[in-house]
Amino acid sequence: MTVAATPGTAPPVDPGDAGPSPGTAGARRGRHTARWTAGGVLLVIAALVALLATRPPATATEVATPLLGKPAPSVSGTTLSGGRFGPSAYRGRWVVVNFSASWCPPCQQEQPALVAFAYHHRAPGDAVLVGVVYDDSTSSARAFASSSGATWPSVVDPGGQIALRYGVRGPPETFVISPSGTVVAHLDGAVTTADLDDQIAAAHAAGL
Amino acid sequence: MRPRPGLRASSGLVWMALAVVLAVALVFGVSSGRGPLTASQRAEAIDSVLKCPSCDGISVADSSASTAAAVRQVVLARVREGQSDTQIEQYLETRYGPSILLRPPTTGLTAVVWVVPLLAGAGGIGGLGLFFWRRRRPLEVRVTPEDRALVDRVLAAHEHGAAGQPAPPRR
Repeated sequence: MTVAATPGTAPPVDPGDAGPSPGTAGARRGRHTARWTAGGVLLVIAALVALLATRPPATATEVATPLLGKPAPSVSGTTLSGGRFGPSAYRGRWVVVNFSASWCPPCQQEQPALVAFAYHHRAPGDAVLVGVVYDDSTSSARAFASSSGATWPSVVDPGGQIALRYGVRGPPETFVISPSGTVVAHLDGAVTTADLDDQIAAAHAAGL
Repeated sequence: MRPRPGLRASSGLVWMALAVVLAVALVFGVSSGRGPLTASQRAEAIDSVLKCPSCDGISVADSSASTAAAVRQVVLARVREGQSDTQIEQYLETRYGPSILLRPPTTGLTAVVWVVPLLAGAGGIGGLGLFFWRRRRPLEVRVTPEDRALVDRVLAAHEHGAAGQPAPPRR
């Protein structure tokens, strides 16, 4: 509501425009402090956003599992290419069992590392990489494998029973199995080639 | 003030009636639904105490996640094989660890969640017992010679009053 000034009466005065007085000076100082505080908070938020946006993507972490040091559950079934896969394909070799799905971003992120790992260990008798399709349709998994250049066998796990035997909670999860068939490492999240090679080297050095 | 004998008797009857109702309810609650469970019912009961591996705080029975479906399938298959509830839970613990159980373990620090309610219950029952025991206990009144003298004086004054003498003023 506006109030018109009439002769003989003082016009309404905006407290902000009032002349210098102890009260108004205090109010101005308060506003000044509030502006600086808000600016500081904004600066901190911007710094946090920049930090989170520019840091490298999350990598795998080693997570305890009751299976560590225990015989690895067998991985067998039909592969994405329609063939049969069983323990005879990897017995006596280092095995990396990777649970992944086409819909999972960290799985997409780690796929180049797995491709590189499979390539580096392609020699006969070297470490074997085995994929297990986790909660995914066969067609999507097949498209994902072919588009990413996956050359290793991926076993279809319709009822999620292989995942259950490994205690998998969500992809990607990777298990390293020694030539004697013992689970030596469990990695949760997107792995790198170095992660896998380091785990194998460490277990090898420990005589596992 | 002490309750009148009639009042105390009716209060006793109320407590007895409550005890009878409680006993009947307990007997009924324990005996009902104790028929042999089917494999599905047993599996459902086990599913309800298992935590969905890929969810937050939801039981396997309540979850539609694929991991929960896989666990349900295993539980039912093992129930049909004749395994006990403990055997099935132990098997799943060897896969997912103790966190697969919604029921906290009875060992270690989590044992506190089992012990504290028991202690609280025992304390509550004990407190109630003490309360009722103290209510029922007859009051111990020690009569001193001064009390007797006072009563004698009042009685004597009353007798004087009855004989036509004016009663002494009340204190």
